Amino acid sequence: MSSSDGAEVMSIATPINLVLLSLFVVTVYFQLRPKTPATLPRSPPPVVFRVFTPTTLLEFNGQDEKPVYLAVRGRVFDVTPGRNFYGPGGPYENFAGRDASRGLAHQSFDLEMLTEDLKGPLDDLKDLDADQLENLQGWEERFLEKYLVVGKLVAEGDPEAPKS
Amino acid sequence: MDSNKSLLESLDAVIADAFADWNIYSTLITGGMVAFLVWSFVTSRDPDIHPFLLARQSTAFPVRKSGESAPYRSLETPHGFPLRSGLNVKDPGAPKWTTGRKGDLRDVWRAAVRGALDDEGKLTGKQGKIYTVLGRKAVEHSLDQVTQEINVIGRFLQEAKTKTMAVCLTDSMELLAAIFAGAFYGFKVVLIPHNLKAQDLSTLLQRAQADTLIAEAGALDLSLVAKNNRQLSQVVWVAKVGSRHMDWTEVPADVKGSLDVTVWHDLVDEKRDLAGLEVPSWDASSPSPSVTTVWPSASGVGEFIEFQPENLVAAIAGLLYSLPRNQRFHSNDLVLSIDSMSRSYPLCQIMAAIFAGASVALNSVAGEGVDFALATVGVSPTVIIASSRTMSQYHDKFMEPHSGIISSIARWLQVRNLEAGVMPSHGLFSQLANIGPTAELSLDKLRLLCISHRADADPQDRLTCGQLTDLRIFTGARVVYALTGPGVAGAISQTNVYDYRRFLGPNHFGAPLSSVEVLLTDIPSDEKFEGKITVSGPAVISGTVILPARGHIRDDHTLELVA
Repeated sequence: MSSSDGAEVMSIATPINLVLLSLFVVTVYFQLRPKTPATLPRSPPPVVFRVFTPTTLLEFNGQDEKPVYLAVRGRVFDVTPGRNFYGPGGPYENFAGRDASRGLAHQSFDLEMLTEDLKGPLDDLKDLDADQLENLQGWEERFLEKYLVVGKLVAEGDPEAPKS
Repeated sequence: MDSNKSLLESLDAVIADAFADWNIYSTLITGGMVAFLVWSFVTSRDPDIHPFLLARQSTAFPVRKSGESAPYRSLETPHGFPLRSGLNVKDPGAPKWTTGRKGDLRDVWRAAVRGALDDEGKLTGKQGKIYTVLGRKAVEHSLDQVTQEINVIGRFLQEAKTKTMAVCLTDSMELLAAIFAGAFYGFKVVLIPHNLKAQDLSTLLQRAQADTLIAEAGALDLSLVAKNNRQLSQVVWVAKVGSRHMDWTEVPADVKGSLDVTVWHDLVDEKRDLAGLEVPSWDASSPSPSVTTVWPSASGVGEFIEFQPENLVAAIAGLLYSLPRNQRFHSNDLVLSIDSMSRSYPLCQIMAAIFAGASVALNSVAGEGVDFALATVGVSPTVIIASSRTMSQYHDKFMEPHSGIISSIARWLQVRNLEAGVMPSHGLFSQLANIGPTAELSLDKLRLLCISHRADADPQDRLTCGQLTDLRIFTGARVVYALTGPGVAGAISQTNVYDYRRFLGPNHFGAPLSSVEVLLTDIPSDEKFEGKITVSGPAVISGTVILPARGHIRDDHTLELVA
């Protein structure tokens, strides 16, 4: 009787041993299992460079969470990072979605600085004096440093303009 | 309350029962588990590089043109900063804060002769060496000796009014000396692969309008070549050591008078004392001539790619700095090239090694498809430069069939290491892994394998992730895998040296080098970024080149070829 008891005690197939064994197997598996390489979330897709006319640029004025674009001498800048200034409610909000060249040159945010006729030719800025041109140059350089050029502004009917 | 108590009690009873069965086996199992945990804790190491740096390996510009992908750049040279365009050579005496010159091949040689610098930029007085490997034998040349030969050949050809020199040699010290002679003494160098038929060689010489030819004595039919190349006026034979006693100066009868034939070693013997050991001095603003290589084409003999010195130094710097600091070439390295120097990737890597003050071994059998095992005997290199064809053939013919059970187990363990981002060290396990496949090789010191793949090469030669993993494990060396294309000096892109990740299928080609910018043109839709690989930057011959090969940018911002 006692000898058979002793054999039972020394058996490997006891519940505690099974638990321990399976624990061992799980540890080994977690240490040696094939690992998948780390991944980062996909970056936002790049913006497509496009050709705008004053009419198509108009919608990018920051309303309804849209990006804020403005044009300086034919270059369209994405100024969304500066939404507080250029977006709705900001001091420069009149420029959003518009050609801002003349306004920046005159250091003025007034509505009369904007080209009224969206279908007409672009503002050629011929009447600016040297100071104003220098002003504009300064703004342009700052924009190039800070913001992305996402497009080009052409007049309605320009051969480059996209057909609507 | 009662049921709660009884539940707890019964649970207690079960646990007590279970522990009552505790015996010697339980102790053994627990001991084993603890030992395993301690072992894996002790042997675990930080990955060689942060995994997030591999998860996004290049930067994309946030704006793209319609029909194109965004331009991608190396993390070293972000958008808005200039691409790497030169070696940043600082002349002695120049103020410390000034930026260095871009430099050219002359600066590469001068840097080598000056010797390696230590971390603080002081001279260590340690010079590299040049070896020519002939079969099992390696011939050693000191840099002074090579400088002397550069001077002898350069002055001789300068006096002979050479403008364009074609060099058709196996990889050797003479080939290297000829390239530098061209840079120092102002003639264009055209590197022509050495195993061409006489007819093809003659066509290439004609197209290059070469007036001087340096070739191996006895390796080609001079009368055929001379007949089709009336502009050819100088031939310099390079005779092997065993055949130097012969008279090679004989000229075929029909071109006698218009053609001068000399022998390299005779010239060197004769003028050695006049030439001197000094590296010729030059005006830093004087341009150095171009180096032309031949890009093989499926039909015909190939096309010439003329690299300006700016392209070459940009590529050399790009390759040099694509490796992290402690993996870069340094003065203790012996860099063996078993891929022909007439191809731009090995050429630029060798130049990078010379610039860094490393020793260089050139193999006379070097080429795109060579026997890896045979080509690496003779020296014990720390870095090997090879082509994808060589490596895939070696893997298929030797590595795979010769791995037995022991090396398979060791391989399995080492793959775990690689997956954790750790390079297995040259230890007991790697010795085990090496038992079968690489036993015959003399690769004890090998630390880096640089493999290049031509964008238009046979897709069969493209290496898979599995093959690269095998190469890492069985040679014990890290691997970089580069994509090369016509018109781009050095490489377009190269894998990160710490990127051991495994995927299915062919491996990717890593991120663009810091000397180029890569974008895909002619993409079919806005969702799928797959198109013609377009490369621009200072390492590209005409600024921008569009390759015929189509590529794809993966989610980790690495470039891969589309089948």
